[in-house]
Amino acid sequence: MDGAKVTPGKTAGLYAGAAVLRLAIFTLLPALPDLLTGRVEISTPVTSFKRLQEGLFLYNHNVSPYDGGVYHQAPLFLPLFSLLPSFSSLPIFTYLLYIAVDLLSASALWKIADSGEAGSSALFTSPRREKRWSGFVIAAAFLFNPFTIATCIGRSTSVFTTCAILHAIAKAVSGAPFGAMIALSFASYLSMYPLLLLPPLVLLAYDRQRPSRATKSALQFGAVCATTVAGVVAVLFQVSYLLTGSWEFLPSTYGVQLTLSDLAPNAGLWWYFFIEMFDSFRSFFLAVFWLHLSSYVGGLTVRIRRQPLVVLTLLLGIFAIFKPYPSISDSALFLALVPLYRHVVPLMRYTFVSAAVILYATCLGPAFYHLWIYAGSGNANFFYAITLVWNLGQSLLVCDLMFAVLRDEWEVERPEMVGKEIRQI
Amino acid sequence: MSIQLPPDDGAVTSNGPVAGAEPGSGVVSNSTGAKKLAPPEKPSDVRRRSHIILSFWLIVLCLGLPIWWKTTTIYRADLPLQEMLDWSDGKACRPVFPLRISIQANALQEQEAQNLLRLTQHALDDLNDFSGHHLRLQLAPPSTTEHAGSESVLTLRLVPGDTTTTKFDPHQPILDITYPPNAIPSPTSSSSALATYVAGQLRATFAEEQATISYLLSTNSIPPDHRAQGLSSDVSDSLAKRTTRSLKYAPTYHLTFSLFTSGPLPSDWDIDGAIGAYMKPVLDVLSPIHNFTIDTQVQLYATPGVQNQVLNKEDLSSFINAAEWPLSPSIGGAPTVNFIVFIGNQTIATSSQDPIDGDTGSPAAASHSWLIPQWGTIYLLPLSHDTTHLSAEALKQPLLTFTSHLLSLTGTPQSGSLPLRLSTLSRIRSADLLLRASSTLGSLARLALALPSISIPSRVAEGVSKTMHHLRLACDTLGGLEGLAHARIAEAEAERAFFEKSMVGQLYFPDEHKIAVYLPLLGPVAVPLVMGLLNEIKAWRKRRSERAEVGEGKKKE
Repeated sequence: MDGAKVTPGKTAGLYAGAAVLRLAIFTLLPALPDLLTGRVEISTPVTSFKRLQEGLFLYNHNVSPYDGGVYHQAPLFLPLFSLLPSFSSLPIFTYLLYIAVDLLSASALWKIADSGEAGSSALFTSPRREKRWSGFVIAAAFLFNPFTIATCIGRSTSVFTTCAILHAIAKAVSGAPFGAMIALSFASYLSMYPLLLLPPLVLLAYDRQRPSRATKSALQFGAVCATTVAGVVAVLFQVSYLLTGSWEFLPSTYGVQLTLSDLAPNAGLWWYFFIEMFDSFRSFFLAVFWLHLSSYVGGLTVRIRRQPLVVLTLLLGIFAIFKPYPSISDSALFLALVPLYRHVVPLMRYTFVSAAVILYATCLGPAFYHLWIYAGSGNANFFYAITLVWNLGQSLLVCDLMFAVLRDEWEVERPEMVGKEIRQI
Repeated sequence: MSIQLPPDDGAVTSNGPVAGAEPGSGVVSNSTGAKKLAPPEKPSDVRRRSHIILSFWLIVLCLGLPIWWKTTTIYRADLPLQEMLDWSDGKACRPVFPLRISIQANALQEQEAQNLLRLTQHALDDLNDFSGHHLRLQLAPPSTTEHAGSESVLTLRLVPGDTTTTKFDPHQPILDITYPPNAIPSPTSSSSALATYVAGQLRATFAEEQATISYLLSTNSIPPDHRAQGLSSDVSDSLAKRTTRSLKYAPTYHLTFSLFTSGPLPSDWDIDGAIGAYMKPVLDVLSPIHNFTIDTQVQLYATPGVQNQVLNKEDLSSFINAAEWPLSPSIGGAPTVNFIVFIGNQTIATSSQDPIDGDTGSPAAASHSWLIPQWGTIYLLPLSHDTTHLSAEALKQPLLTFTSHLLSLTGTPQSGSLPLRLSTLSRIRSADLLLRASSTLGSLARLALALPSISIPSRVAEGVSKTMHHLRLACDTLGGLEGLAHARIAEAEAERAFFEKSMVGQLYFPDEHKIAVYLPLLGPVAVPLVMGLLNEIKAWRKRRSERAEVGEGKKKE
């Protein structure tokens, strides 16, 4: 829209570049994918590709994939991956699938950026909206983000969730509430936590309805959306039940996320806490952590009602910090949406600090993990400390973005205060 | 955990700058007329803030509180505490052992026998000072030659003879008493030498059992009126000694027979045959009280802990080379009794023989073996150097020693014939188990009372009710094998209930610890929540009072 017209050739070039880069890494550095698959920062118990292969093996041998207690992912992955030629003989198809999913995510992100929803939503128009990046830049920032690339190379199944969430937002922005709800159902089915995005997503879809067939009543619209999600998820569960022959997958996939039964270290804050927890208080604190995670949904949705996309972005950032099994792919999703808010970056106060902290943690995290697990010269506290720093960096970014967005809104009401120093009470 | 706060802070407190300052500050700056006055908050902003605070509090109240209640309430099954305490105080059961003794007097007239029985019973009642332990005489039908049914513990066979003598039948619980013909009391006499004699003999026979049981009762918290009076201190000392020597009661004992030799020979022993021949009969008669499992081992080139040729009393305790000899403490939970045959020509210094090995009759055995309390026996067997095979014959003396020590280790009393000793053992064990189960119940009840925050799973309640059921049955049938079986079940159930795993873990968890558990996380989270709510309530009250003022002003107009 603004100046930089994107030619189809440029688009194809971006996608081709991203695909070639990934393919090159897959083929030229054949040891790297397996190395990254084993990294705790990329593969969590609920997204690991290794565990997927284990489940796949059991599934192909007519054993329940959840029998080994290793596989905690959605059952629908199994037929998808068994349709592909075997990974051990022809890995290229798996690589192509992952690359395609990344490109699909990028195209959804492109759509979101081009809609201009970030700068001017139905209820609010930012005075700074002119200053923004095009969809091309934002898609490129996503595709060439090292976190995204590492997730793709590590073949974490969270890329499917990322893709579904981005498509849900893209559909909602482009006035297709039904498609948005279906995409969100898929995301929730795969990872459960995206279900918490439902309220802001419904609001976003409500605000961006096509005038031709708009539902006036917000309550009715919300009820229809919620019913759609429930229906689609129910169908997905039914299909999973038919595939695996039992309801065992429910405790093995969602139950593991709810009860944190696998305490493998990861980039999040939960595992260390629950290693130390008294057994008698474990269930209580599990509930507290989950409630804490979900308590932001209501408050943020009410507070930033006029910009639902901001709420979605902030919630994704919060989830990347406080999820039970977060990985850098969650951060990659959050960082993919942050550039949409190019126009409020001048209002942010700690961009340098948060960027530095995130980079610092990115470098030191693997080092500390190595010290703990392989060198044996550190202990679990090393790694936990660096995950604290990592999440501190992310929460700084989340807070700063929230502050900037709120200040942007405020300056519309109080034009005389533009550029003045303000104090946060 | 402070890291969790920033987003929260941002969400709630950044309302401040956006919505301007607090409502009050607008008024103040108005009055000062300063340039940077903040306009009053818009009603929509106020409402929105209430909604935000409400959304957080709704989650806390509607989800948080019920979950907190559900996940942290301690499940306490109802225990019949008073009944349990009654059991441990001995109020629920008065241990009474009615012992029936049948008298066989085939040579006597029915009436004479009745008279003798009456007089003897009289004499017995005079002698008895322990109400829990009755000896009841009854006349056996003269025709039955063997013993008069299983309910009588002893049969008294009165046989005419030259003098008054007493003899135990070695295979059956029968006491033979011969009497001179003139000793039969006349129907009218109120006392008789024979009756007194018989009563004295019976009393002597059961004296040890009586003393043991009353000792058991006195060491437990049974009210004193149930106990025998005047248990002399040396009797109770010897009983205490014997109790400490015997193994703790267990339903199963594991017997380990080990052959240790200092050289390469002998490498083979016929222990199977020897056990079958010399020990099996005793194990069989002990089987209603205990189960036994057996294993054997041979260890060559075993060096004892003491190398002296003559072992002194002090050496005996360190003879076992615990570091090198493979004597595992226990296999499969059952306590192990070790029987060791050590091939060597060491001898035990004779002066040290008396206190440790008190119960074997033969001095030859005593000088070769000694008993280690609650552990087992060591037997020194001298052999010529070229013996390669130990026959069952050669193992006879060691195994007989082991058998007698096994009886001593299981706490069998030492006087009387073997059948009598065993039936006494079963009664002592019943009493012991009954008391132990009762005191375990009492401990559990006191624990439940002392720690109000300990959880009591339903399994514990089940175990307690089962224990009490079997205790009641055991108490009603004390003295017989049935009573012993019930007492065994009761004791096992009581132990299981007391050592319930989920309770033991929480044994010490005072309420102060809960503050340390809750506060580090919930404290920081609660501060913004509570402060937000308080501010909101304050603002709401202020608005209401302002509205009331405005209303009054209108009225005045």
